[in-house]
Amino acid sequence: MADINKKSLEHLADLARLKLETGEEEKFLKDLGNILDHFKELQELNTDEIQPMTGGTSLKSVMRGDEIFEEDHYIDADKIRDQFPEHQAGHLKVPPVFE
Amino acid sequence: MHIRDLTIKKFNEGLTNKEFTALEMTKEIFDHIENKEPEIGAFISLNKEEAFLQAEKADIKIAKDEPVELLAGVPLAIKDNMLIDGLPATAGSKMLENYKASYDATVIKKLKAADAVFLGKTNMDEFAMGSSTETSAFKLTRNPHDLERVPGGSSGGSAASVAANMAVAGLGSDTGGSIRQPAGFCGVVGLKPTYGAVSRHGLIAMASSLDQIGTFTKTAEDAAILFKTIAGRDKFDATSAPEADKYGDELLAPKLEDIKGLTVGLPEEYFIDGIEPPVAKAVERAIEHIKSLGIKFKKIKLPHTKYALSCYYIIMPAEVSSNLARFDGIRYGDVSAVDKKLKSLSELYKENRSHGFGAEVKRRVILGTFVLSSGYYDAYYAKAQKARALIKKDFDEAFKDVDVILTPTSPTTAFKFGEKMNDPLSMYLSDIFTIPANMAGLPAISIPVKGSEGLPVGFQLIGKHWREADILGIGQYYERLHY
Repeated sequence: MADINKKSLEHLADLARLKLETGEEEKFLKDLGNILDHFKELQELNTDEIQPMTGGTSLKSVMRGDEIFEEDHYIDADKIRDQFPEHQAGHLKVPPVFE
Repeated sequence: MHIRDLTIKKFNEGLTNKEFTALEMTKEIFDHIENKEPEIGAFISLNKEEAFLQAEKADIKIAKDEPVELLAGVPLAIKDNMLIDGLPATAGSKMLENYKASYDATVIKKLKAADAVFLGKTNMDEFAMGSSTETSAFKLTRNPHDLERVPGGSSGGSAASVAANMAVAGLGSDTGGSIRQPAGFCGVVGLKPTYGAVSRHGLIAMASSLDQIGTFTKTAEDAAILFKTIAGRDKFDATSAPEADKYGDELLAPKLEDIKGLTVGLPEEYFIDGIEPPVAKAVERAIEHIKSLGIKFKKIKLPHTKYALSCYYIIMPAEVSSNLARFDGIRYGDVSAVDKKLKSLSELYKENRSHGFGAEVKRRVILGTFVLSSGYYDAYYAKAQKARALIKKDFDEAFKDVDVILTPTSPTTAFKFGEKMNDPLSMYLSDIFTIPANMAGLPAISIPVKGSEGLPVGFQLIGKHWREADILGIGQYYERLHY
């Protein structure tokens, strides 16, 4: 099994929108290496005929009816917008998406 | 009545017999919190004024002789990853330091309807990632039984607050042991219900196929009361199941003949050499004690137990990396010390997430991103999902022979601060006995061993799906035994 190296760690951090400091990088490489080593025990397990368990329940995914809830469960949109650090005229304000 | 002796049950009796008012008791508890908090550090924020209003509301009903719920006026501590409208909900992270909840979680809505009182929001490992509450961005929580030691985690604040009588009961969340392990360390009762029994709507998600909200109480009887109040199907949590509406009175009033008829399994994979001798001895004593009720015991096997930790540390980070993608710093309050004048949105995300998240959260997000990435998905994530199916199958097989499974809650008692912080793997190992119940979605409870000397030891009872009544029932009869 391939371990995580410095280059792949940087790539993973970029995918996860994280920046790692130099000291942090070294510590993560060591910790993740130990953790992945521990995972090797799973390889000895024969899982050829096993159906994966894809969630925490045996409930089947069902579509609910397209009905309006009558109860008062709506969240005031202003309360949500109030939590935006930057907003203008009721809109979320962010730096440009395209450079 | 002294607050040290208060349980939900006794609070309700005292309140309805008009021995005290909810406001008097709430004030007394806040006085106690003021004294104790500098030492324990259980709370991230307090809700004093609102709590007094809630207590008065319960008192008015009592004064008018209106019927009240068992939880009316009861002062509760709520883990800071559950939303209470208008109050902070930090999840122990700088990422949410300035966030205020815009709605009530379903469990909060149910507790408000029962006229419960919210004392404040309790300290926790950041986004519930940790086993000692040390990864909180805000403070340390100390174990009330030994201030040099951790309270366990991730719901360490809720566990410590109940243990130190700073709350009558509390709520926590449990993904791999985050209720049961701190309950064991702090000497209180911690219940993780069946997956799907309690709505997670308004719980800040960590790993959605594992997360479950549960209770911290002083007794198993109280756990039954609090659990029955928060359980139920909710259309805002698609994983909450119809069975959640079918819990009956046997939760609160178990019959001794039913409990005596149960068979308890002892899995050999959980009674291993790595267990600290005082823990092994205490659990042995609890087993003897439970036998005296007339309950039968049987040795069983759960052969895939050894794979549970690896399996968990693949599946959980995978879900974490996805669930925590929403925390980008532009929607849930301001992330302090980040320059908002950055050139691009992508840079702003990175700055916010790098400042907002602590090391353990970053480590798990990266690990999760790795196990889900192209080329590694089958070797790690898909493999772990298959191993999870085998772990669940072990329990299905065992439950053909027994009704309940008994294990130690943790291999050790509360450890010292800093002992495991530099070695994530050793920290992860403190959850080896609690993780399998989450993997299989089973209800499980940690109950303090009675009469144990030194630091508290918990034993764990794991039940069949939807059979909280069995584990709570044994718990209730165990705590009535005289030691």
